[in-house]
Amino acid sequence: MSKIGVFICHCGENISATVDVERVAREIGGMEGVAHAIDYKYMCSDPGQTFIKEAVKKYDLDGVVVGACSPRMHEPTFRRACAEAGLNPYLCEMANLREHCSWVHEKGEETTEKAIDLVKMLVEKVKKNNPLESIKVPVTKRALVIGGGIAGIQASLDIANTGHKVILIERDPSIGGHMSQLSETFPTLDCSQCILTPRMVEVAQHPNIKLYTYAELESLEGFIGNFTAKIRLKAKSVNYSTCTGCGACIQKCPVKKIPSEFNAGLGTRTAIYVPFPQAVPNKPVIDRVNCNYYKRGACKICEKTCQVGSIEWDKEDEIISEEVGAVVLATGFDVKGTDFFPEYGYGKYKDVLTGLQFERLASASGPTFGEIRRPSDGAIPKKIVFIACAGSRDPAKGIPYCSKICCMYTAKHAMLYQHKVHDGESTVFYMDIRAGGKNYEEFVRRAIEEDTVNYVRGRVARVYEKNGKLIVKGVDTLLGGEQVEIEADMVVLATAGVANCGSEQLAQKLHVSYDPYHFFAEAHPKLKPVETNTAGIFLAGACQAPKDIPETVGMASGAAVKVAALFSNNELVREPIIAVVNRLAPPLYSTCVGCFMCETACPYNAIEHEEIKARDGSLIRTIARVNSGLCQGCGTCVAFCRSKSIDIQGYTNEQVYAEVMSLLND
Amino acid sequence: MEKLRERAAAILADGTVSLVIGYEEGTKRPRPLFCHDGESARKLIFDSRCFHNLAVYLTKKELVGNGRFAVTATISTLRSIMQLYVENQLSEDKLLILTVDLSGTLREFVTFDEISAYVEQFELKRSEREQAILTRIEGMTREERWNFWQEEMSHCFKCYACRSACPLCYCTKCVVEVNRPQWINPWPAPVANMEWHINRAMHMVGRCTACGACGDACPVGIPIDLITRKMMEDMAPEFGYIPGLPVKKGNALSTWKLDDREQFIR
Amino acid sequence: MSSEEIFEPKIVAFVCNWCTYAGADLTGTSRLKYATNVKIVRFPCTGRIDFLLLLKSFAQGADGIIVSGCHPNDCHYTSGNFHARRRWIAFRSILDMMGVDVRRVQYSWVSAAEGSKWADLVNNTVADIRALGPYTDYQKVADYLEKEVQDGEA
Repeated sequence: MSKIGVFICHCGENISATVDVERVAREIGGMEGVAHAIDYKYMCSDPGQTFIKEAVKKYDLDGVVVGACSPRMHEPTFRRACAEAGLNPYLCEMANLREHCSWVHEKGEETTEKAIDLVKMLVEKVKKNNPLESIKVPVTKRALVIGGGIAGIQASLDIANTGHKVILIERDPSIGGHMSQLSETFPTLDCSQCILTPRMVEVAQHPNIKLYTYAELESLEGFIGNFTAKIRLKAKSVNYSTCTGCGACIQKCPVKKIPSEFNAGLGTRTAIYVPFPQAVPNKPVIDRVNCNYYKRGACKICEKTCQVGSIEWDKEDEIISEEVGAVVLATGFDVKGTDFFPEYGYGKYKDVLTGLQFERLASASGPTFGEIRRPSDGAIPKKIVFIACAGSRDPAKGIPYCSKICCMYTAKHAMLYQHKVHDGESTVFYMDIRAGGKNYEEFVRRAIEEDTVNYVRGRVARVYEKNGKLIVKGVDTLLGGEQVEIEADMVVLATAGVANCGSEQLAQKLHVSYDPYHFFAEAHPKLKPVETNTAGIFLAGACQAPKDIPETVGMASGAAVKVAALFSNNELVREPIIAVVNRLAPPLYSTCVGCFMCETACPYNAIEHEEIKARDGSLIRTIARVNSGLCQGCGTCVAFCRSKSIDIQGYTNEQVYAEVMSLLND
Repeated sequence: MEKLRERAAAILADGTVSLVIGYEEGTKRPRPLFCHDGESARKLIFDSRCFHNLAVYLTKKELVGNGRFAVTATISTLRSIMQLYVENQLSEDKLLILTVDLSGTLREFVTFDEISAYVEQFELKRSEREQAILTRIEGMTREERWNFWQEEMSHCFKCYACRSACPLCYCTKCVVEVNRPQWINPWPAPVANMEWHINRAMHMVGRCTACGACGDACPVGIPIDLITRKMMEDMAPEFGYIPGLPVKKGNALSTWKLDDREQFIR
Repeated sequence: MSSEEIFEPKIVAFVCNWCTYAGADLTGTSRLKYATNVKIVRFPCTGRIDFLLLLKSFAQGADGIIVSGCHPNDCHYTSGNFHARRRWIAFRSILDMMGVDVRRVQYSWVSAAEGSKWADLVNNTVADIRALGPYTDYQKVADYLEKEVQDGEA
């Protein structure tokens, strides 16, 4: 028979004022399997805990129930006390007599009776408790950061500066991301590259950071503290150990008309190229899709030009394997195409641009060296129209959410335009101005008041060309829906920020969830914004939702701290509240039949296939196994398993069944 | 039918399969036939009287062994086989499916997709019997339904023939045999009986293909197949499935949608 | 306690640890009062709650049941409540087919911040079940076996 010790706390008067604690202890003391039951003023105090410890030894208790406050408050306290007395901490349970009883009911018979029932329930549960060992997982103290934009850069530097190794991979030939494309940044109008490039260089030179550009994640296996990442190093066709980055090959490359990704299609680049002058690493790659040699088998001009013989024509993609303990996802965002708004004429009229293209026009490193000129004829536009919410907040045609950054960058664009074209006239069509952020509202007011940007509240219905002008037809809803028509020289669309292409596939490789828009999903919308629901994988920046630079940097540092905290221990200790698939002696091996319906039910991809093999290696059965590193202990699989082959430690079928039976048995 | 016999004999002879499961004439109605050679394959029949769902044998290792085997399948059997594929209980490389379509042509299937493309053409309709009883039940008040089922359940003596006949009840240990805790009392009693049948229906959510085998098997004639049938009919539109047409990934209860109905949640 | 014959229903509440259990804790911290009829059984997640437990509760004499967890999108485990929601849709449909009184199972989402919602939920459920009366239909048949044994002994 069980020997359960029951300890009823008065909690000063918090419990004893409405519950007859002596009676509770007396009646529980008479229960079958209860060896010892007392009440005391403060169970959580030192003397209170000593009572428990002494009783564990004196009565050789095999279970403890503390009837006190919420287990969410003091469960760790009492479990620790039990452990100190030599009792497995998971044999201690708490009955919530304060929050769920004394504080919510008036003094009276029923309240005391309810308290008795609650304690009885936990006594019945504890009889079925099993000693559990907390799970210890070793930690590989090396982080993988995916994406080399400002989020990835910040996260890598922060982690590296705590003394841990970082592997940073970037899909493009250079790190820098969208931030490197920006001209000036709101709300201070400091030059984006001026503040970014020092950090890019720091990354490249940091002894703790290993940078792989032109690389993508192939697969990620394992669990928190113990991931194996397979990384595809795409063939650059240039040997970086010998290349000096002199750039002679780029000068001589005959394929010159490739639209430049960095300039958002406004400029051109060669087939062997460095994406932009400040690129890190500042060494070229060959774009095999456009290179004459790879297309037609002849050219090799770059090879002839190269003084050090760095061109490697036959280089193939290489797949390397890295062991890491944590992953930071910082893959950023993309700008939504504008094809869903044919009435704005993007793609049809050369002078209808996206916001990102305008950034390039305004940037000193851009195709016009910072002069605002029309792509069609190079003329300086005298009238310019900015259309905000081009795609955002438009469930019918675009995306329902607010892209958050457009209001601010549109104000910045209009401001930059006014600074560069003094006699120019700029108009912004907007739905609302969302300028929440430090100095943001002031910034927008400055655009309107000091730089005389004309803000019109209303939507644009159509943009069409007439006599070399772009006619913008819209309404001013503040003037009672009056029609507005502007003859503009240039139109800039504040296109929506969307999830980066390939984010869905990446999420599936990493087993992290994503929202309906393919942004990665945080573990909790308020309290775990940088965690994913897969332990050990963290989020930074706009891959989670559109966000501006300060927010991105903050989030990246947050993710870095999470990684550093994880790496501050040699072993991870986890609560053993995890699911387990039963194992039996042959020939059954387990009652699991391997239908793997649990596999789709598990939010953490913790269900693995285990092959039971005979001695000769032939497959007997395939059954489910729970990966204790991935399982978070929700128990959805347990309620789902038809043959009850999975159970969850701490809330086993026997335990919860005993609780329910005891509650109703009287 | 002749073609079916020839084909069965041929695949047995050339070693493509080591077993063909089909039907032969029985005393009252066709019964299952297990052919291991061409000789026995000559007894095979396949017509509208063959409604016994042979899929129930396919998960029995002791019957089908480790080699490749074939089965003659009705539409119901095909539906069950699809679900068994989804649940990893059958593998496409171990099974050859023979059937005769409405025009009398012999057809062969191997993969889930092939079966799906074929089964898609057949709508799962209520039979006259099913229609009659379900209309009656649907017309009842809740109290009347309770009394109806209490009366029916009072006949159940827990023989578990329904479980044995169901192709999808293939667990090595059924929940009624789990005794720590004893979820469902093993003896026949009104509540224990009802718990068993509610439990059976819950276990069939998103899985039942309404073959009716459980109802046919019930020795005391309780229309238990209608519990699962009704559940399936109600749940298919609820969760966006076509009744009787299994989908490859996930099950109605192991997947979810953000906009699942919740007006009953306060 | 002179019996004025006010029916005191027995109600079990199955709640998740992260939202509703914490919400009920907040009810306590806020000193909001509610009826003593409801007793809480704690689960890690609504996804863990087995439908058989609900059936067993009725068989064991419960007059009503509350099942409550995190609001959609708030689940600590991201999707346990979504799985649970589907399970309850199917379960309700089957119970209704069998003639079980589905009004006696109250589903709810109560977050960790909704202390007052928990108090209201309990009080409303107690009132509803009180209006429905004891679940004798079920209890009558549930007692079947026990009674027979007693009769045999008598």
